Amino acid sequence: MRTIPDVLVRPEFEETELSKAETGDVARKLTLFERISDMHSVRKLSILVMVIVVWEIYTRLSGVSELILPKFSATAEALFQGVLNEQLLEMVWNSMIVLVTGYAIGIVIATLLTTAATTTRFGNDILSTLTAMLNPLPAIALLPLALLWFGLGADAIIFTLLHSVIWPVALNAHVGFMSVSETQRMVGQNYGLKGLFYVAKLLIPAAFPQILMGLKIGWAYAWRTLIAAELVFGGSISDTDDGAAGGLGWFIFANQMDLQIASVFAGLFTVILVGVFVENVVFNAIENRTVRRWGMQAR
Amino acid sequence: MAKRKSKAAGKKPAAATTQPILNVDGVTLQYKTKEHLITATYRVGFDVYPADRFVLLGPSGCGKSTLLKGIAGYMKPVEGAIRLKGNEISEPGPDRVMVFQEFDQLLPWKTVKQNIIFALHNGGKTNSAAEAEEIAMEYIQKVKLNGFEDTFPHMLSGGMKQRVAIARGMAMEPDVLLMDEPFAALDALTRLQMQKELLQLWEDTHFTVLFVTHSIEEALIIGSRILVLSPHPGQVKAELNAHHLNHDNVGEKKFAEVQQHIHDMLFADRILEEEVKPGAQG
Repeated sequence: MRTIPDVLVRPEFEETELSKAETGDVARKLTLFERISDMHSVRKLSILVMVIVVWEIYTRLSGVSELILPKFSATAEALFQGVLNEQLLEMVWNSMIVLVTGYAIGIVIATLLTTAATTTRFGNDILSTLTAMLNPLPAIALLPLALLWFGLGADAIIFTLLHSVIWPVALNAHVGFMSVSETQRMVGQNYGLKGLFYVAKLLIPAAFPQILMGLKIGWAYAWRTLIAAELVFGGSISDTDDGAAGGLGWFIFANQMDLQIASVFAGLFTVILVGVFVENVVFNAIENRTVRRWGMQAR
Repeated sequence: MAKRKSKAAGKKPAAATTQPILNVDGVTLQYKTKEHLITATYRVGFDVYPADRFVLLGPSGCGKSTLLKGIAGYMKPVEGAIRLKGNEISEPGPDRVMVFQEFDQLLPWKTVKQNIIFALHNGGKTNSAAEAEEIAMEYIQKVKLNGFEDTFPHMLSGGMKQRVAIARGMAMEPDVLLMDEPFAALDALTRLQMQKELLQLWEDTHFTVLFVTHSIEEALIIGSRILVLSPHPGQVKAELNAHHLNHDNVGEKKFAEVQQHIHDMLFADRILEEEVKPGAQG
């Protein structure tokens, strides 16, 4: 037989004085080690150091050919030399100019598309159809066509960059606008916001997390497309620019032709460095100042 | 407990000299869902006078929130008219500020102070930055949020967020402050505190407020006059006085009597609703 427990009535009590002495540390300062090991940058950096050490030891002990896998020290040396003697920084600069041009034009077109899609049903149909069609198409696949239309040169690359920027930016911004909460829309209307003011003062900041995500994806796509384009057609494109050093892709391409494998690695390193810089420094700074500060995105 | 059929004629207290600030006249509101056209309110009429704490009370489905949206100008009545100071309402505007139930009514990219200044600037209250700042700080103090003026909304508790929303609404000094179940998402202790503070704020300036709730107790505490609505569709069931009741009367006999009376009215509707439901739902 199962017994059903009864409520046990106990005496009541009230504390008249709460002692503070025996409760231990209510708030304890973290130790130096705890604080350092909590820093993201420190943890990431230590992994990077580990990779470099393994790389260096492996190449030294295994006797692998310099043409297959150069030592880290040789790569670092080549990077240093590239900056000093081979106009590496200028090449990065050249790549950046093409990239920023394409990125900026792409954002303008994406803004127009999103505005049309947000305000009219026809625009909405256009955006969703075009995005569904063109988003899966890798931008680099358009380069042969672009070369045919615009000839060898920066114009062709910019055209391909546009393709890699417009769709993710427009799509994300549109989704962002659509998902602005009904309450916030009503608040905006309540205080008399209309037309462009309504878009600029309410919709854009409210959709900013998604807009920023679109910008980030667009940037990453554009950077990859640019390097790929310069790698594949780098030689011919750099020839047309009188006296110019060409882009970063060309640096990798040309050094591979010369069997300067350490320099190839140095070029790849530069691609990574620029990518990491833009993503972790530039966009991170924007996020810290906006969506994270506003609590619209988890840390 | 006055039972009235005609809405405009039957106003005893102070009605002889004062004009209603808000006049809702035979308003039918409808909205569409994916499958149905829903009639939220059917020929609802009432008058709100200056300094009223006018409560729209009813169970869910009585169209009280829809009615508030109609008054705010987000919805057009299919029948009847809503007039503010004699002018028919056609669109949302800063002369009727809405305080919502949802915490995300504060703009997350603006601090407490900036949220209020945003309203003052865009609502056409003032163009001067210094004046807006001054008004904002005044109302932040009124809702006891001194020291939080530069905090972003995501750092605030639910009750504090609602206080900011109330401060933002009151800073606009609208003809009527519309409150759509502003305390419904708060915990019971905070809700009690907020109700008290709202009444204290009202004591200061006697602003006109239209308050939507489904809690009979809250209606009696907050309201000076209560419009009881029956559901499916919302229709006026009664208009009662509650100016003599507040927190201190909770648990007293006269409070309990009115509470019971309203409860019976709404409960009768429930039974009716249950009977009607099978046919009405289709």
